[in-house]
Amino acid sequence: MTDTGELTFRRVHAAPPELLFDCMTRPEHLTHFWGPTGTTTPLDGIVVDLRPGGAFETTMVNERDGSSHTMRATYVEVDRPHRLVWIEPESRGGMKTTVTFHPLDDGRTEVVTHQTNVPAAFRAAEAQAGFQTSLDRFAAYLERATS
Amino acid sequence: MPTDELSLVFAALADPTRRAILERLARGDATVNQLAEPFAMSQQAVSKHIKVLEKARLVQRTRAAQARPCVLDTVRLEVAASWIAEHRRVWADRYDRLDEHLARLGANGEETR
Repeated sequence: MTDTGELTFRRVHAAPPELLFDCMTRPEHLTHFWGPTGTTTPLDGIVVDLRPGGAFETTMVNERDGSSHTMRATYVEVDRPHRLVWIEPESRGGMKTTVTFHPLDDGRTEVVTHQTNVPAAFRAAEAQAGFQTSLDRFAAYLERATS
Repeated sequence: MPTDELSLVFAALADPTRRAILERLARGDATVNQLAEPFAMSQQAVSKHIKVLEKARLVQRTRAAQARPCVLDTVRLEVAASWIAEHRRVWADRYDRLDEHLARLGANGEETR
C-alpha cells in the first residue's frame, strides 16, 4: 500500500469504545448521524452485514430535493471495539476507511478515522505526479504557506 | 475551479523542491537566483520547477524588473486548502451529530459509560 491520498481525522467522544463501535455499525444508531449535513439516512436505506466481506451500504437522501446517493462499501476488518475497516470499491481507486477506537483514562474514547485512496482531484494529482505527502501534512503546510 | 485545474495545483505541490520554493516565497518575493541558492541544483532545474508552479498559477513572475522576481499567488493555495477542508468537514459534521446522538442516549437513561 502506498501512503498517498491520505486523510486522518481525530476526535474524542464522551463514551466508551464499545458504544462508539456500536454507533458506527448499527443501523438504529447510524440513521441518527451518518449522512452529511443537509441529508437524512433513513433506517431502511442502511445495510450492515457486520463481518469481513459483508456489505456496508448507506443511502443518503437530500432533504431539499429528495435525491439520494448510496455509499456502497465492503467490510474488510471487524474487531469490536478496537477497529473497523471498509472499502468503497466504486470510488476511484477504492477508498479505504479505517476507524480505530482508543480508550482514554478519563472514560472517553479517541476515534481515529484514517482514509487512504482519497478520490477526486487528489487522486488525479497522484496519478500524474506521484503525490508523496499525506493530506494532513499537506494541509498543515498550506496553512503555513498562506498565513 | 475545475477539477483538472486543482489537479495541476496538487501535482505542482507533489514535489518537495517546489514546496520549499513556495515556502521561501511565502516569506517574500525572490529571484530565480535567490531561489536556487539553497538547493544543490542548477538554475535551469530551478527554473523548470518555477514553470510548473507558474502553470498551476501558484507563482507569478513580474514583468517589470529585469530580475523578474517570483511572487507567491496564494489564491490557488487557498482553493486547494478549502478542498481539503471540505473533505474533512464531512467527518467533522458526522462526529458532531454522533456526539448529539450520544447525548440523547444519555438523556434517555441508557448507559453511555
